[in-house]
Amino acid sequence: MNDGIILLVEDNPDDVLFTLRAFAKNDIGNEIVVATDGEQALEYLLPTGGGPPIYPALILLDVNLPKVNGLEVLRRLKDDPRTRSLPAVVLTTSNEERDIMESYRLGANSYVRKPVIFGEFLQAAKLLGLYWLLVNEPVPVPWSG
Amino acid sequence: MANAKVGARPERGSEPDRPLVAVGQDQLMALIDHTSAVIYMRDRDGRYLLANRQYERLFNVRREEIVGLTDHDLFPAAIADEFRSNDLAAFARGVPVQMEEIAPGDDGLHTYITVKFPLMDAAGSPYAVCGISTDITDRKRAEDEVRRLYAELEMRVRERTAELEASTRELDAFAYSVSHDLRAPLRSLEGFSQILGEDYADLLDQQGREYLGRIQANAARMAQIIDDLLHLSRTTRAELRREPTDVSALVEMIVGELRDADPGRAVKIDIEAGLVADGDPHLIRLVLQNLVGNAWKFTAGRDGAIIQVTGVRQDGVDVFSICDNGAGFDMRYAHKLFDPFQRLHSASEFEGSGIGLAIVHRIVARHGGRIRAEGSPGSGATFRFSLTPAPPDWEIR
Repeated sequence: MNDGIILLVEDNPDDVLFTLRAFAKNDIGNEIVVATDGEQALEYLLPTGGGPPIYPALILLDVNLPKVNGLEVLRRLKDDPRTRSLPAVVLTTSNEERDIMESYRLGANSYVRKPVIFGEFLQAAKLLGLYWLLVNEPVPVPWSG
Repeated sequence: MANAKVGARPERGSEPDRPLVAVGQDQLMALIDHTSAVIYMRDRDGRYLLANRQYERLFNVRREEIVGLTDHDLFPAAIADEFRSNDLAAFARGVPVQMEEIAPGDDGLHTYITVKFPLMDAAGSPYAVCGISTDITDRKRAEDEVRRLYAELEMRVRERTAELEASTRELDAFAYSVSHDLRAPLRSLEGFSQILGEDYADLLDQQGREYLGRIQANAARMAQIIDDLLHLSRTTRAELRREPTDVSALVEMIVGELRDADPGRAVKIDIEAGLVADGDPHLIRLVLQNLVGNAWKFTAGRDGAIIQVTGVRQDGVDVFSICDNGAGFDMRYAHKLFDPFQRLHSASEFEGSGIGLAIVHRIVARHGGRIRAEGSPGSGATFRFSLTPAPPDWEIR
């Protein structure tokens, strides 16, 4: 199993709690880094302050985010050769066609609508972890030293 | 006038011109005086040689008074200039010419359709121009009115379209925010009830756990209502694309899904083969999902449940019918069936948000079709719908 970091970009503290709980309940023990807005997420992945970037094994991205919204984060990630191949899953509450279309147009690797029923969310988190951390073969992490 | 010849007319031979020979000048004058057209003759310099009675009546002059005068003595300069230039055009062309002219009347300016032709002397050079003007003001006004009405109509259509676009945009924004903002708190409500039940199970007694279950059941129900509302708004917002759609196959598919979700049910399904509707496949699927889904739901708990899907052609319009022998409904409430959130059964009898038939109704209406429901309590319901635009008084029989 890929033991890389999971970057969770989510501004709603309840959803953060649910996601952490869902991964824990499914025995997914990867380190989870939480960014609570789009700007913070970009600072982790494409730092402008000179610090080292993180290379998460999986990015879970909400759409409605303060400062820089999720779709803009997605656009910047997929535009940049350094982050383009990181698996980015849009995990959001809407299933509006335009969010889905726009996400895929910008290069999202997957689109998952958060179910209202916690049991179903648990199942979705399990499948996501299983697929992206176990089944999927990622681009090797570039060792910067 | 004996040697005057109309410009375009070919010269006749020596053949005597019997009718004309018999007609004297008085008779010709009588003829031109008794027409509703305005007739006049002017020489090369624009001086009047002749005018008919209609001319006298119209411009309140006597013809003896205007002989020798020009239009510039009689009309405002701009109008006189126009007449003169048209006269000169007839002289120059040497053939009859036709144009529209404007002249003042008692009730404002009138429009005339005028034919002007030069009169030739024996040497073949034009010495006068003759004009026949017919008042087309009424026709002109009618045309202007039609143009005005048309422009007004166009403007109104543009206004309505803009309004419609604005309200669609508004609806779109509303649906988007429902989709995003209303589901999030609901997820918290459901999630924390679940966590409470898991982590604090030993602090809750039987009744406490039951209450938690009720919170979760209601959260799930509300999630379903939100999704149904979004469906409803999408049926209005989505673009309608008509294409031949295999209704029989869609119903088969929907029944398959219903059987998968509820394998314990024994329902006889009777689908007429080869039913095709001309409409939007996604929207037709929603219609059938709701109608067949309802038939499935309302035949629950009934022995020998049957659902029939058939089609007939009525006055060239395809009418599809979904018929069941389930719980049915009271025809007194038939008019409420298609209103959003109207339910004719209690939630404990049959669950549902009461939006399904509103979605069906809206989709049928967007196609320009009709829908009709018939039923009676305890002996089933039949829903029939068309998707073809029909005259306003047309109904499904």
